Amino acid sequence: MDTFLAALFSGTSRGAIYALVALGLVIVWRGAGILNYAQMGQAMFSTYIASTMITNGNSYWLAFAVAILVGAVMGVLLDILVMRPLSNKKKTELLSSQSMRAAIPVIASLGILGVLQALAGIIWAAEERGFPAPYAQEGFTVAGNVMPFTSFDVFVISVVLTTLGLTTLFFKKTGVGLAMRATALNSEVARLSGIRTNFTRSLSWAFSGAASSLAGLLITPTSNLSPNTLDLVLIIGFTAAVVGGLDSPAGAVIGGFLVGMVISFVSFYDTPEDVFLAILAVLILVLIIRPRGILGAKDARRV
Amino acid sequence: MHAVSKAKNHSIARKSLRRTIFFVALILFAASTFDAYNQAQLALVLILFIGVLSVTLLTGISGQLSLGQGALMAVGGYCMALLMTNQGYTLWVAIPLALVGSALAGLLLGISAARLTGPYLAGTTLVIALAIPTLANRFMSVLKGDEGLPVDVGYPPVWFTNLFGEPSYEQWQLYVALPFAAIALFLASNILLSRTGRMWRAIRDNETAAALSGVNFSRQKIFVFVVSATFAGLSGALYGLRGLVGPSVYPVSLSLLLLTAAVLGGIRSIFGAFIGTVIVVFLPDWIDAVLHQFELSEQVSNFMPALVSSLLLILTVVINPAGVAGTHLHKHK
Repeated sequence: MDTFLAALFSGTSRGAIYALVALGLVIVWRGAGILNYAQMGQAMFSTYIASTMITNGNSYWLAFAVAILVGAVMGVLLDILVMRPLSNKKKTELLSSQSMRAAIPVIASLGILGVLQALAGIIWAAEERGFPAPYAQEGFTVAGNVMPFTSFDVFVISVVLTTLGLTTLFFKKTGVGLAMRATALNSEVARLSGIRTNFTRSLSWAFSGAASSLAGLLITPTSNLSPNTLDLVLIIGFTAAVVGGLDSPAGAVIGGFLVGMVISFVSFYDTPEDVFLAILAVLILVLIIRPRGILGAKDARRV
Repeated sequence: MHAVSKAKNHSIARKSLRRTIFFVALILFAASTFDAYNQAQLALVLILFIGVLSVTLLTGISGQLSLGQGALMAVGGYCMALLMTNQGYTLWVAIPLALVGSALAGLLLGISAARLTGPYLAGTTLVIALAIPTLANRFMSVLKGDEGLPVDVGYPPVWFTNLFGEPSYEQWQLYVALPFAAIALFLASNILLSRTGRMWRAIRDNETAAALSGVNFSRQKIFVFVVSATFAGLSGALYGLRGLVGPSVYPVSLSLLLLTAAVLGGIRSIFGAFIGTVIVVFLPDWIDAVLHQFELSEQVSNFMPALVSSLLLILTVVINPAGVAGTHLHKHK
């Protein structure tokens, strides 16, 4: 029973973070039609900046805010410097086919990931370092028993839920959100209706960068920080996004919690080493049974 | 009609053969001028060249982006290592058998993944690249976990030493890899020039149009996976022969290295695959040679090769997506 509760709680707080990562992936996928493999590289970079600020004596919350801002700015820069020039090259012979148009941005984002990781290694050295949590990481005590749930977990879950709520409100209720949804649906028509699609695309990148930086800040207190630690988080976030439906923000959240539970139960009842086999199994099952994901609208495969 | 296509096939085979002979002559000439360290590097180029060819065929020719070639290399490596350590086969028997194993793995992967499009395929193969090496710990008794299975190229047979004299260990590594690389080059060149290559390019450019022209594209897509997996398996087996077959030998970064090499050189051409492999293998040495003149800390010089190759990757994709080999070289009719 204790193991079950521990797995359940750890699955919830980890799942919240994976939901955030998946949301970041989904926003860029909808906004720009690109799966951004560099996303957690950006998060790693901005978390390192926050870490440096804290060791230099700044407050946690200032570093927190700066890291999220840096994440957003980095997203916009990537869009303007790399991805936009790429999508303007559609007319060249190599990018004339649909399959290569999907492949080339993926390769570019892998290049960006490599650059960010190498830069982080050069600037901050490759040793693992810890990252502070703003609240205690000791379990609550209920009736003399230490529960597997900490005040940091409460903080993580409430931050993530607030972010998800605000994002939904932004997309549903504001004019810019509507413009972004229109661009995601059909960018040609959106442009003809007077929406500045370049602007909304960059905005998607900014949102995704901020969301993934937030995820990086929330996950590093429990996993340490090195140039490569967040790669695995990206893979888990990708699985979560596919499980929920790559074009559905709500699906990403559900997928995040689901995958979080799977990982947590596998590592508590089996060994943590089997986590990736479990993820692969989940991914392949979803792609066979319901390729569009739980809430997705478009199939991942053609027959 | 039949006679015409037969004559055409002959001319394709002759062209591929000419390329292969030129390639072998070039490698042998280069090897004779290199020192021991560079001969080992050249052997590595030959080994990775086969792996890069598997990316060229899969991504460049048929348009399916896979980030999991390292996992297929691991399959080839483990099959060979098991046959060599448990059954006591020599590598000349174990490698062809291992290729059957990797072709089967490619068939499985093709059946499950060939229907996926673009980023879904890339992500799924990335998860596979991460998950397959952890199998080594799952089946500890057979696959020996993180320790892995030590294998090496061994010593040259007596007739070889009698004929060509005693080669050094690095030279023998090179001579083992060369025939396999030559066969891989010959086959890849044949595929690219022939009807199969045209079908794969047609699928890449437009699936509907290819289907209307009579290409059974779901079968061909699976076939691409099988061929590409065989190439990757061969590369992985030879890669393991450098000393060890284990999970740490086939990390995700190996898959990304192959992709980087293919893109830098030119993702649609065999010549590009070779140039790209030479670049990624020798880049760290070149950077070392340049950085040597400045007094830099180890922290900087350790990450410089990764930084430069990633920057080159981005620049290639944004400025010249055709790569070093350029567009004019891969306009096969």
